[in-house]
Amino acid sequence: MQGFPGGAPDPQQLQATMLAIEQACSLIQVHMNPSEAEKVISSLHSSLMPYQACRFILETSHVPNARFQAAGAIGDAAVREWGILSDDNKRSLIAYCLNYVMEHASSPEGYVQAKVSAVAARLLKRGWVDFPDQEKSAIFFEVEHSIRGIHGPNRQFAAINFVEALVSEFSPATASAMGLPKEFHEQCEWTLEVKFMKDFYCWAQAAVFNAADSILSGNASIDEEKACSAAFRLMFQILSWSFKYNVEHANSETKIDSGLRSDAINLKKFERSLVKPGSMWSDILISSGHTTWVLNFYTTARQKYSYDPLWFDSPIAASCRQLIVQLCSLAGSVFPNDSGDAHINHLMHILSAVVLWIEPPDVIASSIRNGASESEFLDGCHALLSIASFTTSLLFDNLLKSIRHYGTINLLSALTSEAVKSFVDNQNEEETWGSDALDISLEIWNVILGDFDADKSPMSVDGAIAASNLFKIIVESHLKAAADSAFEDTDDAEYFHVSVSKRDEQLALYAQIARSAADTTIPFLAQLFSERFARLSQTNGENDPTQTLEELYWLLLITSHVLTDSGEGETLLIPEALQAGFPNVVEVAQHPVVTLSWSIINFSRQCLDPGIRARYFSPRLMEAVIWFLARWVATYLVPLDVSRGQVSRAEIDNVDKHGFQHSRKVLNSFAWENNQGELVLDFVVLISMVALTTYQGENELQTLICQKLLATVVRRKHTCTFIVQLDSWRDLTRAFASGRSLFSLSGRLQRSLAETLACAASCIKDPEASVQYLKDLMGPVAGCLVENASRSDLKSVAQKADVVFMVCCLLERLRGAARATQPRTQKVLFEMGHTVMNSLLTLLEVYKNQSAVIYMILKFVVDFVDGQAVFLDSNETSVLVNFCLRLLQIYSSHNIGKVMLSLSSSLRNELQAEKYKDLRALLRLLTNICSKDLVGFLSDSSIEGSQDIAEVIYVGLDIVTPLISLDLLKYPKLSRDYFALVSHLLEVYPEKVANLNNDAFARIIGSLEFGLCNQDSDVVERCLTAVNALASYHFKERLGGRGGLSSQLMESEGSNGTLQESISSHFLRLMLQLLLFEDFRMELAGSAADALLPLLLCEHGLYQGLVQELLEKQQNPTVKSRLAMAFHNLTNSNNLSSLLDRPNRQRFRKNLRAFLGDISGFMQIK
Amino acid sequence: MSDSEEHHFESKADAGASKTYPQQAGTIRKNGFIVIKNRPCKVVEVSTSKTGKHGHAKCHFVAIDIFTGKKLEDIVPSSHNCDVPHVNRTEYQLIDISEDGFVSLLTENGNTKDDLKLPTDDSLLSQIKDGFGEGKDLVVTVMSAMGEEQICALKDIGPK
Repeated sequence: MQGFPGGAPDPQQLQATMLAIEQACSLIQVHMNPSEAEKVISSLHSSLMPYQACRFILETSHVPNARFQAAGAIGDAAVREWGILSDDNKRSLIAYCLNYVMEHASSPEGYVQAKVSAVAARLLKRGWVDFPDQEKSAIFFEVEHSIRGIHGPNRQFAAINFVEALVSEFSPATASAMGLPKEFHEQCEWTLEVKFMKDFYCWAQAAVFNAADSILSGNASIDEEKACSAAFRLMFQILSWSFKYNVEHANSETKIDSGLRSDAINLKKFERSLVKPGSMWSDILISSGHTTWVLNFYTTARQKYSYDPLWFDSPIAASCRQLIVQLCSLAGSVFPNDSGDAHINHLMHILSAVVLWIEPPDVIASSIRNGASESEFLDGCHALLSIASFTTSLLFDNLLKSIRHYGTINLLSALTSEAVKSFVDNQNEEETWGSDALDISLEIWNVILGDFDADKSPMSVDGAIAASNLFKIIVESHLKAAADSAFEDTDDAEYFHVSVSKRDEQLALYAQIARSAADTTIPFLAQLFSERFARLSQTNGENDPTQTLEELYWLLLITSHVLTDSGEGETLLIPEALQAGFPNVVEVAQHPVVTLSWSIINFSRQCLDPGIRARYFSPRLMEAVIWFLARWVATYLVPLDVSRGQVSRAEIDNVDKHGFQHSRKVLNSFAWENNQGELVLDFVVLISMVALTTYQGENELQTLICQKLLATVVRRKHTCTFIVQLDSWRDLTRAFASGRSLFSLSGRLQRSLAETLACAASCIKDPEASVQYLKDLMGPVAGCLVENASRSDLKSVAQKADVVFMVCCLLERLRGAARATQPRTQKVLFEMGHTVMNSLLTLLEVYKNQSAVIYMILKFVVDFVDGQAVFLDSNETSVLVNFCLRLLQIYSSHNIGKVMLSLSSSLRNELQAEKYKDLRALLRLLTNICSKDLVGFLSDSSIEGSQDIAEVIYVGLDIVTPLISLDLLKYPKLSRDYFALVSHLLEVYPEKVANLNNDAFARIIGSLEFGLCNQDSDVVERCLTAVNALASYHFKERLGGRGGLSSQLMESEGSNGTLQESISSHFLRLMLQLLLFEDFRMELAGSAADALLPLLLCEHGLYQGLVQELLEKQQNPTVKSRLAMAFHNLTNSNNLSSLLDRPNRQRFRKNLRAFLGDISGFMQIK
Repeated sequence: MSDSEEHHFESKADAGASKTYPQQAGTIRKNGFIVIKNRPCKVVEVSTSKTGKHGHAKCHFVAIDIFTGKKLEDIVPSSHNCDVPHVNRTEYQLIDISEDGFVSLLTENGNTKDDLKLPTDDSLLSQIKDGFGEGKDLVVTVMSAMGEEQICALKDIGPK
């Protein structure tokens, strides 16, 4: 071949190379000495001009893997040596690859062909900008001919394959690296999209078109079918391209009225996005009837091959369906700018074909159960989902009505019920078609019910009936499954939590369906409950109630989801669908939501009776009851003023809809009527007490009580003010403060309980009563700790397991209370902390070898300082700071230089893990103390106080830094804490750093360098802040004529070996490196600018030198001048001055952003 | 005993006779101690499950013998009590290592304790021997539980 690169080949050497490569490939395959073999192969990839050898292997070797490697080597070498290859060489390499795939099109090793195609595509892209247009045209001319089928199906397939490779090479996400700037890749992307993409699509279209007849008549050869399905795949791939260079119509009003959504949803969950190729594509995709043709083709083919169950999974059927689903997602200006008619038509066409795949759902489902393929059914669901994402629920429903006597929602309902049944039957297996279909169909419901404009287009009557029927089927199937599985053991807790969140997600989607037909589904739920309640009361200990209990368990879960939202972290409102769903109900007693609520709560009340409790309130049922109560209380005990205010406002808006508003009002106020609200709250406290004391060891249940139910009630002010006045609450606090019964809870729960109980203090209106409440609550706990720590025989009893346990419990309780610190309760809690300080130091000494206790002491102090720091005056501060100093000293005296010995490596790892946790706690403590200083310095910082703090922190850092290695900093949590502390420290006390000894200083700087290159942008940001602080301090000191940080020198790798330089030049180098050559994240530009500016000002001379050096290194003159321009603008535009004031920093931030935007195009390389 | 005094540590100073203490299984956490098959262990994993969906919770412990490093497992209803060993750690200054592998330790009241062997594991052994050989001032921590003793930590308190 003319122009093929590389000298005249030496046959013997070629043979030798081939043998070596073949041998290496076969060694890898049997996994013998793979690293050695990989070395041989990579030597081929990196050798100089390996083209002749590769060609020889491609043409003569019988080992397909060797051919594969040879092809890859051509690509790697050519991209690397592109600069030294002549134009002829380049062209001939591409031509060679293309010819190779064409000539060997019938080869059975498809992956070798695909690799050679990919190499051709890669090289074509590499030369894309340099090659003149006619050359590209020549190549594509050949390709087009082949795709159109002129040279037979094998070549057709090979050519389509090549275009596929080309499209994926040009798409930014799948492009291979070429060591070229981003701009190059963008330019390639642009030309391909604008000039070629549509042609490619047309070729593929033609290929399919030509093959269609023979396929439909059943005369097609295997090769023809293969080519045809490849063409479908290519069309799909082209439609998956993310089109960027198109113009969209402005959104018109008429379009919205037509029933198309204004807010087309991106279906991220199923990795689908809109396809917006723009108006250029209108002719081939829309007006030419292309979609209809594809649909007809598929419909005819599936009829023809309906005898063959395997056909539905054949490549041609699968790829054609894939294309159809993708066509559903077409959007934007590809449709004419009319009132949406064309788009609706398009969707309707698709639906009328797709409906055959999914209808009738029960028949299809049963045939799938009998072994038929499910893929067509699932693709149909996907298409339906895409359609739903474009339409309002009304339009969605109507689409089917033109060809059927029922709406789409009806069909969806039937389809979902089949999916539910199948899912429930195979719940224990993973990844069944039922669960896939259920996921998709629930998402469709979510899309149509979660429609923004739901008010404008409410669900039709038919739709509501369909939803209601579906919900009944859902509930019945799940109840049956619950009853069947009642005797199975529950799973391991960890797995359980994962599946719980998945289950909750599913239940929430079910609930959405139920709410859309609330007027029938809520009474239905009420009826199911009352049946089960009756069944339970009839059992009388004779029949086993377990099945009924499990049914109730599931009913409680779904009912909670229907009646309430999960609302993590938000204020819960009564779901809008329920407020609007009962316009005709005027009597409270008849409101289905009201009756359902009271019937469940009244049932739950029975657990207070010991006999009934023992008979059927199992721990699991109690869990569901507690969970229901927590959500119900948070939603329906609406703050009184809010509920009234809301209704009266609404009444003004809509006077005529009186009944409608009345039912809203009923729902917002029924819970408080006739003292019911207080009674419920009283019940909440009673049931908590029962669950905490009589369900010994049931951690799941007790966690729900402490962290969900009680926490919910206390967190909301209007329920909390009621609850603290209750006698039952007083009993609970008394039992906690001075009884024994609650010591049987696990430590973690005692902590949350203490936190909740202490939190309630801030809702007691009278300040004195509030103080007294806290004293009564925590006084005995603190007193007990003090008393015991001062026992004379402490040493001899301290290590006993029961004593250790008791101390841990007390510490957990103190910690819980400390976490509940609020402005009103801060003083009392500080006193509490103050009284135990000395005891804690004693315990720290006594328990120096009980890491669990030590850790708990540290965690208490961390939380205590965190809660208190902002409130303290200078006296209190110095008490606290002295305490922390003693604590740190004692801790370090016990731990520095200690080596743990253990026979068992896992025990040794545990010990290491404990030390690591201690370390994090210490870092936290130091950071919290630091935060005090920041506040203190704003108000009344007495010099003495701040001195203290600085001292503690440096003592602390002296303890902590030697324990922290760069390896440890790879743990994200630890590194975040560490850098938070260091950056804070450098900001507040840069002058202390100047006086550090060399070792300590080098440790800090070393860790900063490490942090700047971290992946976590939080960490990088912190380090930039730290560098900014250091450099600014240095600059200001020098401005004032002092030395600053000049005494601290760093060793760094300069251009001519190691050199000693000042800290500011060191970081300047580092920053420039980071900004220019690393993949710098734009969101950090602001902090980077802040850090860079003082460095520039300090080291102006060095900066100029570095810039000069950089510019000289650039070979390419355009790049050179652009880079020079960018650097010039960085320091000269926007009137940058040489000050560190705020306006100047702002200006520099702006400059740096522009600079980064400028250079990223040509300096960032892929 | 009045209600408010109930938080007092229960153990009497002379209660050394008991080597373990009962504690509810549900409150034993990872990293706590537990007795399994009459061996003192450290818990490395706790999981819970229920006997039948509406039965009571039970805890599944995986623990490591603190002396031998062997792994042991146990399942206990979470409301039942488990035995928790009293694990003591005492520090002694290391004064000598004898030829036959015994160490000589200085107790707090000035006596020596000579009945403890060096660990058999080579790396641990060398850590102690090297440190001692270099003339460092070493303090060893001896862990004892249920009548057994073992050196478990080593600290350098500065050169001699």
